[in-house]
Amino acid sequence: MSTVRQYELIYITPAETTEQALADLHTQVAGIVERFGGTIEKTENWGRRRLAYEIGREREGVYVLEVINAPGAVTAELDRRLRVFDNVIRHMIVRVDEELAIADRARQNRKDSMAKRRVRRGLPPEPTEGERHRREDDDDDMEGGLEHGFRAGGDR
Amino acid sequence: MSDMDKGGGRFGGKDGGKDGKGDKGGRRGFFRRRRVCKFCVDKIDYINYKDVKTLAPFIPERGKIQPRRISGVCATHQRALQTAIKRARQIALIPYVTD
Repeated sequence: MSTVRQYELIYITPAETTEQALADLHTQVAGIVERFGGTIEKTENWGRRRLAYEIGREREGVYVLEVINAPGAVTAELDRRLRVFDNVIRHMIVRVDEELAIADRARQNRKDSMAKRRVRRGLPPEPTEGERHRREDDDDDMEGGLEHGFRAGGDR
Repeated sequence: MSDMDKGGGRFGGKDGGKDGKGDKGGRRGFFRRRRVCKFCVDKIDYINYKDVKTLAPFIPERGKIQPRRISGVCATHQRALQTAIKRARQIALIPYVTD
């Protein structure tokens, strides 16, 4: 079968949606995902939130986030079905596995290179508490210097 | 460049005598540019579109995406920030426009 990927589905329902309707919606989504051989990793109900802009006539909405592990074909089906439900005023599906993997790699790379640098200088690979504080102070100095230098040179 | 001998003056600019926030600094906030990328400094690898708090500083009143020449964000993170903001807009966490 096709590869399983991770998606995040967010949908917004009108503020007056009942608990029951939300539960129904969730089971519908879960049913679709299951049919494609996927699983729902996590469901988060953010509750009522003010919308940044009006959608239809709604100013507030209930946000629900579902983290889904399933093959790519689900997205099309979910998209199609969610568009039909009238108590879903907005939805979005985003693929996240690649981005998270990239972020993980970046984190790992940074950790490795820091450890390498530190070992080369004859220090333990992990910085101690005291060092960390001193480094932050240095950063502040640097920032001030940069800001000032920029203003002097880069004036248009 | 009269103050090049001033110890610690990393970039030795014209107005090096003034420190940090000189009188120019207050000019409608235009020169309060952060020259360092906030995401690099804070070591944020993944800019989450659901987290409005991290996105908010990069969205001026008008609702546009702040250019990196002003915010000082590095190219890599600006790209990630851009997609994050656009996603957040889609699900009405952030406005497209505000008048």
